[in-house]
Amino acid sequence: MKFKIKFADQIVGLFILVALAFFVAIVVLIGANQRWFAKDYGFVTSFASAAGLAPGTSIMMKGFTVGKIDKLTLNANNTVDAEFHIFDTYYEKVREYSILELTVSPIGLGSQLLFHPGRSEVRLSEGAFIPTAASPEGQTLIEQELVEIPPKDDTITRLLANVNPLLENTNKTVVTVNRTLTEVNRALAGQSTGPLGDIVTDASAAAGDVRARVGGLLDQVSSLLSELETISANLVATTDSIRDPTGLVPRLLDPSGSIKTFLDDDDALYKKVMSIVGEVDRSMKSLQGIISGLNSEMPKVAGLLNETRTAIQQAQDVLEGVRNNPLIRGGVTERVQQESLYRAMREGSFE
Amino acid sequence: MIATLGRSARLKAASLLYSLGFFYNVLKETARFFSKSQVGYKVLILQILFTGYEALAINAIMAIAIGAAINVIGSSLLPQFGQSQLMYSILIIVITRELGPLLTAFVITARSGTAIATQLGTMVVNHEIEAYIAVGLNPISYLVVPRFIGVVVSMLVLTIYFNIFGLLGSFIVVQVIKPTPILEYLGALMSTLTVGDVASGLTKALVFGIVVSVVATYQGFSVNRASTEIPVAGIRAVGLSFILIIVADVLLTLVQYA
Repeated sequence: MKFKIKFADQIVGLFILVALAFFVAIVVLIGANQRWFAKDYGFVTSFASAAGLAPGTSIMMKGFTVGKIDKLTLNANNTVDAEFHIFDTYYEKVREYSILELTVSPIGLGSQLLFHPGRSEVRLSEGAFIPTAASPEGQTLIEQELVEIPPKDDTITRLLANVNPLLENTNKTVVTVNRTLTEVNRALAGQSTGPLGDIVTDASAAAGDVRARVGGLLDQVSSLLSELETISANLVATTDSIRDPTGLVPRLLDPSGSIKTFLDDDDALYKKVMSIVGEVDRSMKSLQGIISGLNSEMPKVAGLLNETRTAIQQAQDVLEGVRNNPLIRGGVTERVQQESLYRAMREGSFE
Repeated sequence: MIATLGRSARLKAASLLYSLGFFYNVLKETARFFSKSQVGYKVLILQILFTGYEALAINAIMAIAIGAAINVIGSSLLPQFGQSQLMYSILIIVITRELGPLLTAFVITARSGTAIATQLGTMVVNHEIEAYIAVGLNPISYLVVPRFIGVVVSMLVLTIYFNIFGLLGSFIVVQVIKPTPILEYLGALMSTLTVGDVASGLTKALVFGIVVSVVATYQGFSVNRASTEIPVAGIRAVGLSFILIIVADVLLTLVQYA
């Protein structure tokens, strides 16, 4: 007889018993892992809404499951009463001032119920009420720093925490840029009393002064030039007369000519020439004084031109920065140009 | 044509009623099986030996292979979505709830369903059934019930073994590819595994065992005189068992998840 047939009873018995032993072991392991034989401590709390909560929701503390939600009930005050239990392993964490916090993922990855232990040595008894972080009682405990709340350790929360200061800085920058633009506009309109307005006013005044001074100088120079043109024309005519053999010089050299008569005038001609020379000398001195005055004004003019150029460059940089900033691109309201009125509305009545 | 359809429907209805009556008799005799000492006990032991013990090897190989495949695929694919912890859930759903009972039922159908149908068909052709009746033995009580209980018990036990090999045996294979501490693996597995998962798998195994054994014995007894009917009965037993197993699986899954 074959071995299997001969010992069929034993083989089948062992086959079934081993399976039963494994089955029992698996059930016991499941029970041990799922706390069938452990004592849990029940507590109660209240939520404004049961959204994100369900019986069986894990209560987490620093990444560890310390308990679970047992029951949720909508009460007469339209708030949600919740019964939950804390594992005996973590019962010592349930102290006075402890709170629960329901955090919802900002990117739709569900919610998490966190347990924050209180900063007290008094252990809460079973069945005690533990407030939530969103409740006024919980807020008070947090403000009084009676609760140990660890920093949020998930990346999204940390990123969001960093985004707020960035947004505040961006808002401040936008406000500053708006103020700058307003100041620039007011300064350019001549309405500003600040440093930029002073610079623009000074530059404008300097430019006007320079224009006035240069205009005066140019008038003087042009009159001098016209005088010099006249003199030059006279000298040219004189030279031409001297070069002409039949012209003025032979007639002047002729003893019977009129030159003798002309020169024999008791130095009247000489005096006249000398007076002309004296006038020319004074004119030259006056021109020299004007030129020296113009030279003394040139550094100021150059300085004013530099300041003007610097101010214009700064204004250009600010405008370019504003134009290139993506955060406020399109944020400045387009200025509507007011058409000038050629005719006042009531003008007709007074014609 | 209408008359043909009507006759066909009447025959089908009669066949269905007959099979339901057969099933009722099987259950009735099964209830009485353990209350009286009889020779059917030895048939039961041999049935468990052939259906359960001898199918253990192929069952274990399938379980280890499928468990290892799920482990390897899960441990390489799920971390890409940041859902590594779902590997245990998938392993349990596939091994314990779905594939464990289903593949075990398929193996038993292919091995034992055909064997039972063929054996009983041969006995019918050889007039052995008439001989049993002639000596006062109830063929259902002596031939069907031990096979029915044997297949159901084997199905349940093999499903337990499939779970063990699928969940734990695959761990050995995974160690070659991705070493993981056994305590960490077991802890995570047992935290995810629930009694509901185990009960679901065993419920399916029970139903599939009943389906396979009843269909196989019914098809075996459906043979009339010719020996050529025997392989046809075997084929019908396998085909009908597969269909009923899948239908039962769908219904049970709907009941569990609805």
